[in-house]
Amino acid sequence: MQKTASLSRPDGLTWAFLALGVLLLPLGLYLALAAPPDANQGYLVRIMYLHVPTAWVGYLAFFVTFLYSLLYLFRQDPRHDRIAAASAEIGLVFMGLALVTGMLWARPTWGVYWTWEPRLTTTAILFAVYVGYFLLRGAIEDPELRRKAAAAVGVLGFLNVPISYMSVKWWRSLHQTQSIDLTTGKIHMAPEMLQVLLFHLAVFTLLYLGFVRFRGLVAALEEAKEEA
Amino acid sequence: MRRIWLLALRDLRLEVRDRLGVLSALAFLFVNLFVMALALGPEEGTLRRAAPGVLWVALAFLSTLLATRAFGRETEEGTLDDLLLVPGSKEWVYFGKLLFQLLVLLPLALLALFGAAGFFHVPLERGGALFLTLALGSLGYASVATFYAGLLSRLRGREVLLPLLLFSLVVPVVLASVRATAGVAEGLPLGEVAPWWQLLLVFDLVYVTASALLFPLVMEG
Repeated sequence: MQKTASLSRPDGLTWAFLALGVLLLPLGLYLALAAPPDANQGYLVRIMYLHVPTAWVGYLAFFVTFLYSLLYLFRQDPRHDRIAAASAEIGLVFMGLALVTGMLWARPTWGVYWTWEPRLTTTAILFAVYVGYFLLRGAIEDPELRRKAAAAVGVLGFLNVPISYMSVKWWRSLHQTQSIDLTTGKIHMAPEMLQVLLFHLAVFTLLYLGFVRFRGLVAALEEAKEEA
Repeated sequence: MRRIWLLALRDLRLEVRDRLGVLSALAFLFVNLFVMALALGPEEGTLRRAAPGVLWVALAFLSTLLATRAFGRETEEGTLDDLLLVPGSKEWVYFGKLLFQLLVLLPLALLALFGAAGFFHVPLERGGALFLTLALGSLGYASVATFYAGLLSRLRGREVLLPLLLFSLVVPVVLASVRATAGVAEGLPLGEVAPWWQLLLVFDLVYVTASALLFPLVMEG
């Protein structure tokens, strides 16, 4: 009884992440709208301030899923599975947003919403992998097998993330190369734009942390109810 | 090592004795190629350009068909647990099944290549390079297919789930294989095709190692 009572509410840290994220988001949007237009793309570049952070959260979330899937496989602790699933769910949403914002940007820039270009293709595949992740979770009734199978997909599916990230380099393609190159540490961007982008990255990461903790709690409550 | 061979050869013997499975897979493969050729033909240039894509999609379908067979017999007879109960580590079950998959898949892939050569006018002069692509691509595909087949072997509805999960995961392999096949067929210098082979090799290594390491964790219990 004591335990469920303490379980039923998000803790202070979750609230702090969520509150900070939600409060700073409008400020970030203001900064994005006030940021100088790009020399080539004009005002269109402002989509980037949403596009890059959503894609980043997608990758980050899938990475967390990968880590917690591995942890689950070794420790068999349902808590790890809940975090992995929560993170995959949030990653799927943000990856979807990244695809949508990318398409909105592509239409005026490239003239089409979608083209079968490596970055887009690999990202769409990544999206499909995690849709498969949830299909699998929905299809298996035995909780233990469900967790194991999902963890296996969480680990194997993550192999596509580095491919997607590197795709712009491996196949010199239509898509912009990374503005902040994590592999070499080089930054190709005007400082005032970079500051805004980094701010957005931070805000979205805060939101992600809040969401994951919240979703993990909801999953725990669901499981407790299932068992009861 | 001996165990792996024994398991693969036993499965292969059962498969050959049964005949129905391999034959129906083969028929499926050729109908697939034939229908695609019919739909895209009869212009030679179009056919030749479409050939690598058609070949690999046909092979992808084929190996999902075959993948369920790797563990199908074990679940039917209830012998999977016996295999897993053999003392020692459990990776060998995975490797045995993977070897079996490859032993069935590779000859069929070779036949598919000849089929594609016939229907789609693919030049076969550089057979060695084409075969290397087939081998690397099949290994990449079979590694994940075998792993998932094992994971899902105890489930109802695995026939539907397997392709769903598999396709999204092995698309990189199919993509790289198609590019490499197209490069070889178009007569590009092998130095330009080599990056695709490297990529395939990396996929193969990563998928085989990851699957072999995960397999015991997933199968026990």
